[in-house]
Amino acid sequence: MTNETTEVPVAPEAEGLPHGLGTTLPSAEARAKTEGTFPYASDLWAEGLLWAAILRSPHAHARVVSIDTTHAREMPGVHAVVTHEDVAGGPLPGHRTADRPVFASEVVRHHGEALAAVAADHPDTARMAAAAIIVEYEVLDPVTDPEQSFAAEPLHPDGNLVRHIPLRHGDAEATGEVIVEGQYRIGRQDPAPIGAEAGLAVPRPDGGVELYIASTDPHGDRDLAASRYGLEPERVKVVVTGVAGATADREDPSFHLPLGLLALKTGCPVKLTATREESFLGHPHRHPTLLRYRHHADADGRLVKVEAQILLDAGAYADTSSDALAAAVAFACGPYVVPHALIEGWAVRTNNPPSGHVRGEGALQVCAAYEAQMDKLAKKLGIDPAELRMRNVLATGDVLPTGQTVTCPAPVAELLSAVRDFPLPALPKDTPEEDWLLPGGPEGAGEPGAVRRGVGYGIGMVHMLGAEGADEVSTATVKVLDGVATVICAAVETGQGFTTLARQIVQDTLGIDEVHVAPVDTDQPPAGPGCRGRHTWVSGGAVERAAKMVRTQLLQPLAHKFGMSTELLQIADGKITSYDGVLSTTVEEAMEGKELWATAQCRPHPTEPLDATGQGDAFVGLAFCAIRAVVDVDIEIGSVRVVELAVAQDVGRVLNPGQLAARIEAGVTQGVGAALTENLRTPKGVVRRPDLTGYALPTSLDAPDIRIVKLVEERDVVAPFGAKAASAVPVVASPAAVASAVRAATGRPVNRLPIRPQAAVVTEPLPVPAAAAEATG
Amino acid sequence: MPAAVPVAGGTDLMAQVNAGQLRPAALVGLGRISEIRGWQYQDGHALLGAGLTHARMGRPDFAALIPALAASARAAGPPQIRNAGTLGGNIASAAPTNDALPVLAALEATLIIAGPQGARREVPVSHLLAGMEMLRPGELIGFVRVPLLHAPQVFLKATGRTGPGRATASVALVLDPARRGVRCAVGAIAPMPLRPLEAEQWVASLIDWDGERSALVPEAVQAFGEYVAAACIPDPAPAPDGTQETLPAAVLHLRRTVAALARRALGRALS
Repeated sequence: MTNETTEVPVAPEAEGLPHGLGTTLPSAEARAKTEGTFPYASDLWAEGLLWAAILRSPHAHARVVSIDTTHAREMPGVHAVVTHEDVAGGPLPGHRTADRPVFASEVVRHHGEALAAVAADHPDTARMAAAAIIVEYEVLDPVTDPEQSFAAEPLHPDGNLVRHIPLRHGDAEATGEVIVEGQYRIGRQDPAPIGAEAGLAVPRPDGGVELYIASTDPHGDRDLAASRYGLEPERVKVVVTGVAGATADREDPSFHLPLGLLALKTGCPVKLTATREESFLGHPHRHPTLLRYRHHADADGRLVKVEAQILLDAGAYADTSSDALAAAVAFACGPYVVPHALIEGWAVRTNNPPSGHVRGEGALQVCAAYEAQMDKLAKKLGIDPAELRMRNVLATGDVLPTGQTVTCPAPVAELLSAVRDFPLPALPKDTPEEDWLLPGGPEGAGEPGAVRRGVGYGIGMVHMLGAEGADEVSTATVKVLDGVATVICAAVETGQGFTTLARQIVQDTLGIDEVHVAPVDTDQPPAGPGCRGRHTWVSGGAVERAAKMVRTQLLQPLAHKFGMSTELLQIADGKITSYDGVLSTTVEEAMEGKELWATAQCRPHPTEPLDATGQGDAFVGLAFCAIRAVVDVDIEIGSVRVVELAVAQDVGRVLNPGQLAARIEAGVTQGVGAALTENLRTPKGVVRRPDLTGYALPTSLDAPDIRIVKLVEERDVVAPFGAKAASAVPVVASPAAVASAVRAATGRPVNRLPIRPQAAVVTEPLPVPAAAAEATG
Repeated sequence: MPAAVPVAGGTDLMAQVNAGQLRPAALVGLGRISEIRGWQYQDGHALLGAGLTHARMGRPDFAALIPALAASARAAGPPQIRNAGTLGGNIASAAPTNDALPVLAALEATLIIAGPQGARREVPVSHLLAGMEMLRPGELIGFVRVPLLHAPQVFLKATGRTGPGRATASVALVLDPARRGVRCAVGAIAPMPLRPLEAEQWVASLIDWDGERSALVPEAVQAFGEYVAAACIPDPAPAPDGTQETLPAAVLHLRRTVAALARRALGRALS
C-alpha cells in the first residue's frame, strides 16, 4: 500500500514547490527561526505574571539539617516559597526509573539539586529571595568515582546499583589465537540545547494548571506533574511551546514541576527562565563510562570472543540509565559477528550530575571502545584496519550477542566499502597555502612541519524506538476541510522534521498541498517522547493510516458512482482521476463542502526484556552508519583538526533529502564535540565552569567537511515507509572514527574521549621529520 | 564598589551584568569618545586609543605597524567579540587569557591614564597587570604607548579547538634590532604574562644582528623554546631530603606546549 501511494508521479509543474515524500520540503519553522521571529519558550508572557527562581544545592552530597524560608517569605514582592513540604507523595509514574524528587528533602545528592523555589513580582526579587533561604547542610563525602559506588554507603533508598546485566552468549571458555585488551573512558557530554529551559505556568479556574513548556514528552511530563501536585492528570495540561531543538530530553523535572507548584499556590501565572548555568546543572547528561575490553580473534582476524565490562555513571538519579545500559551491553561488540561474548554491564548511582537520555546513549560509549579494539587488533595482526573490519561485519540473518537475529536490512559491508573507497581529501601541501586550515585554527600556532595526517574508521549501530517491551504507540488525526488538511498529533517537533514529514505524508496520500500541523498539547492523545526515530516511525505511521482513512472516505462515493474500487482512483494536484484517465473530478468537488476526520494509531511489533543472561529480542529495528575520519594533528601541541568525515548510512528510505542531510551533518558534528572538546568536568562532584566558554561546543571552524558518500536505501519492511532513524547513529560513529584517525596519525593509544591534547602528542622525535604532512593512515 | 562603571565594548562586563553578578548603579559608555578609537604617532611610538576594537587592530594597515598586536586581535574571539571588544577593555579586565596582554608585555607598553580634572599619569602595563599599581577611582585608561620597532613580531596561541577559543598558552615575541633585543612574553599560564628575561638575553646574544638573523642554528632556536618553558614552568624545588617531585602530566604538557610555541615564534621571527 505504501509503495502504491508514494510512487504516484509528482507533477513537476506544481508551482515549483516540492511536496510529497522524497522531496526536500523545507521546514515550516526554518524561516521564523532564521529571522528571529520564532516564539521561544523564553518569550512567553501573561498578564500579571510572577517570576520564579530556584534554590540549588552548592554541594554534591550533604544532609539537609534545616530549611528556613522565613526571611525569603517576608521579603517585599515575594508571593510564595515552595519546598519538599508542598509536593505530593506517592509513587511516580513514567517510563523511567522515577527516583528523582522535585525538591531534595533530607539529603542532596548532586550539585545543583533543587531545594526550594520562589515566586516574586520581579526576577531579581525572586533570585534574592531564593538566596535568602537559609539551608543548614551537613556536608558529606561525595561518591564521585563509579567504581567506588559498589562499596559505598547507599546514596538512595533503592541502593547504588541501578541495573546489572551479565550477558552470556556462546561458549564462555572459547579463546582466540590473538588477544588484545584495552581500558577506555568516555566523558560527560552535555546536550547543550539551543536556548536554556524556560516555561510559564498558568493556574486554571478549575483548580488545575497549564504548563507552557518546551517539552519533548508532553504526556510524560504531564503525568509526572499531576502526581506531584496531587491532581488528576486531566487537570494538568502541558502545552508545548517553542522547542528550539533537542538532542536529549528537553526539560528536567526540577524545572517545570516547581513552576506549576508556584502557580497553584499563588493563583498567578508564573514564569521561569533558566540561566545557562542552571541549564547545565539541571538537565541530564550523557553517561560517563568506563569500559574494559578483551577481544579474541583467529590469525586471520576473525573475531572469536569479546569480553567486556561496562560501567555507566548514572549520576545521582537513575532516570533512563537502565535503557542506556541495555543498549551499551547489546551493542558492546558493535556491528560485527561475534560467536562468543561475555559482557558485564552496570549502571550505578554516584553524586555526579544525573545522566539520562542524550541521543546515542550507551551505543556511543561502546562504539568508541570496540572500534579502538578493532584498531588494536589490526595493528597486532598487521592487517589494514578497514580490511579487518570487513572480515567481521554483520549482515541480515546474523545473530546479536543478545540472541536476537537481525531481520532488518544490515548493509554494513556496503557502508564500509563506500567510505573506504571514497577519494581522500587533498593534503595541505597539495593545496594553496591561503586555503590551509591547520590544527589550532586560522590564527593558531599550527606549523605544517609538525602536522601529521591520519585516517580512521568508526561503524556505529543504534536501535530504533523504545526497547525491551516498551509500548511504543502513537495516535494521529487528519482532518480535511475546504481543501486544507490539518494533522493533529502530539509528536513534538524537536528538529527531527516531524511536522515536515507529516505534511509530506498527507500531501502524498490525499493530494492536498496545503497541510497544517496543529500545535501540540496534552488534550491530544499521547504520541510519546521524541527519540530514537520514534516519531518518523510510529507517529508518521499513524498519520499515514489516518490520511488513508480520510482518502477512503473521500473516494468511496466517487468509486461507487464510477463503478470502480477506490484503489483505481488517483489523487494528485487537487484532482481525482481514474486509473485510465477517462474519469476525473477535482478534490474540492468530491468534498462537497464536507468535513472529513479520521484518527488512527500505529504500534510496532512487540519486543521483550533482556533476561538474566542478557538474552532476548529486545529491539524493533537497528540502524547502521560507517564513518571514515581524516584528521590533522599537530603532534607537538596535540591540537587536532578533523579535516573530513565521509559518511555512509543505512537509512531505509530517504523521505526528505534536505532534512536528512542536515540531520546527518548535525549528528556527526555533535560526535566531533564528544570526540574533541565536550566534557563537563565535575571535580569532587561540583560542576566546573557551567557556561559555553568553559564547555567548548564545536564552532563552524571545528566542524569538518562532511561528505555523505552513500545513503543505502534498503527498505525496512516492518517500518512505515521503510525509513530508519537517522539522527542518532551518526553521533554514535563519529567520535570512534575521529579517535581512530588520531590513533593512526600519532601511533598513540587514544583511549579516552574527549581526546586531550596530551594524548595526541608524540614526545619521541619522529624518525623522518622531513615527511611532513604525509598521510600515514 | 564604585557608583558608576565605565563600559567600552562590554564583552566581559555586560555578560556579568546580564548574569546578575554585577549590578552597577550606573554605566558610563565610552563608545562615543572618538579620540580613543584611533591612534597617532609620537616620537617613534604609536599612541593607541584604548577604544580601538580588536576588529580595527586586526586590519592590514595596523598589522603593518604592530604585527603581533594585530595577530592577537585577530585571534581574540569570534567576529562578534572582535567587533565590540577593545584594547583598553582587554587591559582593564586583565583576564589571564586576554590575548593582547602578552603582546603588550613583550612590547613593554606604557599606559596613559586619565584622571579627574585633567590629571594624567603613565604606568607601565606590567605594573598594572602585576598589581603593583591600580587604577584609582575616577581614572580611565586613555591610551597605550607602544614602540614602533620596524622588525618581525609574532603572536602564537594554543587553544583547545580550531574555532575561536580561550588560549591554553600563548607566546608573543618581538625583535628590537635597534636595541639588539629579543622580547618574549608567555600568556594564559599565569595570572599575568610572564617574561623569561634570561632566555631573551641569551638568545639575543647569539643572533647576528648586523648580518643574517636567520643564520641562527636550529639547535639554538630549539633550546630557546625549552629555556622559555622551563623559566615559566619551573620544576618544583627539591624536597629537603633531596627527592625531586615531578610535575603532573597536564603541567608537563603545558610546558611542552610553551616550548613549541616559543620555538615556533622565534623561528618565524627570524626567518
